[in-house]
Amino acid sequence: MDKVLKIDISAEKGVVELLKYLLQNDRVSGVFTLRKTGSDGSFDYALITEPGLLEDAIPLHPFMHVNAGKILSALPSMRKPVAAVIKPCELRSFVELVKRSQGALDDFLLISYTCGGSFPYKTTVKGQTDKLLPEFWKAVKSGLDSDSIRPTCRACEYFVPMNADITISLIGEKDLDSKCSIFLHSGKSESMVEGFKAEISKGELDLSRFDSLVKKRKEQKEKDFKELNIQDSGLDGMIDIFGKCIGCHGCSRICPICHCILCDFESCAYDYDTSMIENELLGRGGVRVPTDTILYQIGRLSHMSFSCTGCGLCTEVCPADIPVSTIFRKTGEKVAGLFDYVPGKDVDEEIPVTIFKEEELSELGND
Amino acid sequence: MSKEFMPKIISFLCKWCTYSGADLAGTNRMKYPPSILPLRVMCSSRVNPVFLIKSFLHGADGVLIGGCHPGDCHYQSGNYYTRRRFAILTTIFDSLGLESERLKLSWISAAEGTKFVRVSTEFNEKIKSMGENPAKKKIFL
Amino acid sequence: MKKSYTKGAKISNSKGSRKTILNFLKGLLKKGSLDAVLIPMRVPAGDSYAWVLIKDKKLLDDANPIAPIMPVQGANALSSCTKKGKGNLKIAALMRPCEIRAAIELSKLNQVNLESVTLISYDCPGALPMSDYLQDPGEGEKVFDSLLKKRDRDVESVKPVCGICDNFSILPASDLHFGLSADSRDNILLIPNSKKGTGLLNKMDIKPSEDISSWAKNIEELKKVQEKKRKERFEYVKDMVEGFDSLVKTFSACVGCHNCESVCPVCYCRQCYFESETAKPDIESILLKTKNRGSISLPADRIMFHVGRMVHMSLSCVSCGLCTDACPVSIPVAELFSYVGDRTQQTFEYRSGEEKGEPIPMKTYRKEETKGINELVKGAEG
Repeated sequence: MDKVLKIDISAEKGVVELLKYLLQNDRVSGVFTLRKTGSDGSFDYALITEPGLLEDAIPLHPFMHVNAGKILSALPSMRKPVAAVIKPCELRSFVELVKRSQGALDDFLLISYTCGGSFPYKTTVKGQTDKLLPEFWKAVKSGLDSDSIRPTCRACEYFVPMNADITISLIGEKDLDSKCSIFLHSGKSESMVEGFKAEISKGELDLSRFDSLVKKRKEQKEKDFKELNIQDSGLDGMIDIFGKCIGCHGCSRICPICHCILCDFESCAYDYDTSMIENELLGRGGVRVPTDTILYQIGRLSHMSFSCTGCGLCTEVCPADIPVSTIFRKTGEKVAGLFDYVPGKDVDEEIPVTIFKEEELSELGND
Repeated sequence: MSKEFMPKIISFLCKWCTYSGADLAGTNRMKYPPSILPLRVMCSSRVNPVFLIKSFLHGADGVLIGGCHPGDCHYQSGNYYTRRRFAILTTIFDSLGLESERLKLSWISAAEGTKFVRVSTEFNEKIKSMGENPAKKKIFL
Repeated sequence: MKKSYTKGAKISNSKGSRKTILNFLKGLLKKGSLDAVLIPMRVPAGDSYAWVLIKDKKLLDDANPIAPIMPVQGANALSSCTKKGKGNLKIAALMRPCEIRAAIELSKLNQVNLESVTLISYDCPGALPMSDYLQDPGEGEKVFDSLLKKRDRDVESVKPVCGICDNFSILPASDLHFGLSADSRDNILLIPNSKKGTGLLNKMDIKPSEDISSWAKNIEELKKVQEKKRKERFEYVKDMVEGFDSLVKTFSACVGCHNCESVCPVCYCRQCYFESETAKPDIESILLKTKNRGSISLPADRIMFHVGRMVHMSLSCVSCGLCTDACPVSIPVAELFSYVGDRTQQTFEYRSGEEKGEPIPMKTYRKEETKGINELVKGAEG
């Protein structure tokens, strides 16, 4: 049975208090969280070691400019774990990275929350973020979707964290402004918060109350997949969707799963001899240059789609407005489904391409 | 008069089995379609899925991977990985609406010259019935 | 000293400038004077443009020599088909002046081989911001068509860097130039600017016998107006980058996707230094920073990336504006880099993309140079 801490302050303040306690009592080497960087609504992720600086922390801010999983994986091990407050999809991404030896769960005390979604990049560009917050929190309290969250979030059924040491309950908590419920899932988290002033009891996060939201999100996802309608139009459909790709590879660079320092598709294997381009010209009469626009997309799908956590940053970052995330999630679910694999669910489960079972897929290769 | 469509089938054949199988077919004077363009690899798991995507997008009408029967891999388990990768790639092709039928995986041992002839002939006929790979003439790939 | 060409040929513009250019190129392909043309073409979905190397004359009908947007830098397109060396085909690349300048910079860095390439430029009206165009491609086409018909430069609807571009016409590096801003809209001036260019005109039996001074005068006047606008705008841009606080504020929304670097024609490195293992923060630097400041922003070194990139490439910046187009959080990267680039280039009396074969400033030195900097150093010592 998990333990639950209850404090009579707002959820965000409660988390900050907890973080402060951890830092002041030297339970952690530092705190990783979102924080305000100016009065103009700007913010960033930071590793904070000075408790006083936690005044600027906004751990529950509904915005994800970078996938924190990716940042955590680049952090070297510290003396003690770092308390990291991250979104469920970021946590799942981190777990996927850990499976790829790009980080260690032990280096962190992972704190996550039932996530109401995050805002699109465009809201910060237009400076609207602060204006949208009241409506967002109102929706979270009543367990509904805010109008201002990203379409990707609206189609995400994994808003309850997996693998978190500590979960903050937000969705459906009517008294968010005056009460904070913190669930401890592991012995690690229990010993870490020992001595923290709060009403402690046994209890578990009631998942049944999310049933209707999960159902709604799944329906939305199916609708998005259907609207994408990519499977009916074949190669021409691919060209229609990815024709406007400018080849910046921003999607792979922002992708938490794409951890390669040098992407295969940026390697010299794809620098063609001039004669090879000329050969292509003979056959087709015309060749798009730079080459391999579609190859890159299908290739990247083959490299990482089964681990796609649906964080949606690829869509956000795409300067050509291509719905990259929907395509990758849709394909990724099918591929992961082959092996009953859920990205980011179980850290001990290996990624599908590094293992095999002798008895599986027996229909393949027999003639 | 239009010439009969002769497909190009890029074939990645494992040195330890299918490639030798093809050799056996040859020494036994068995005929297999000239559309099969064999490329010898040290193991079917040497075949990066991107090779298949690239062959397909660059206009190959079919792509064949020939490997050892499950359990018979010269390197113990290479072909099991190949099988997973192949399943992943065909699933991706299917969900993008691309013709995954143009990709084929077959287990053919060094002794199965006859099987190599049969499989390659059948695959060739299938590709013939499917017609040219539409990617051949596309500009915006 | 490069021979300057002062004569051009007038060709009728009755079919519109795009058609006229295409017909000319088709003629060259037909005569075999060219084997292929590198030109923008609308993608099948109609919502953007892509660079296509075309050999088949029929395909040229669908090409658009003057595309309203610039989703990919022409120099990158040219690099991808000539980087591994000279080919057997004679290629003409029809590009905007900033794309030609980038191609020249890349040729200095051995990323473009110009041996069998003819560079064809035109009086560029600017390009539309990609995000505007993507919202409504149909409207974008209309807006751009009206820009093409104007003689003056309209700065309202084009990209901010195009609005302050003062190098939008013939270049020393162009082999051939289409003077679209000729005296009357009925004609286009076809100006050869190198032996290659003259050779192509000869093949087409076009005699460059017309005087081009009135067109040149018009361009000079437009350039002066643009120079003034550039100066005025830079006064404003200056405040966005000068001083640490303003720099941090300007880049505060940066998500670190490095799109600006990957679309930049001059940033040709296969792997950017700032994405390499070396640039990753190690435990010592993190401990030191957190000890001194109590916290560290992550991903680290956001400002380092931008300033570092300025050091790496601003000398070659051609102000094409692709970085701004590619920025998902609309930071005016291009204007900032243009501003800094203008200043670093002035230090060495260098203009990026002007002369073929001129070494980039980082690869050469003169005994007497960088006077202002020398004085600064002396001042600091004294």
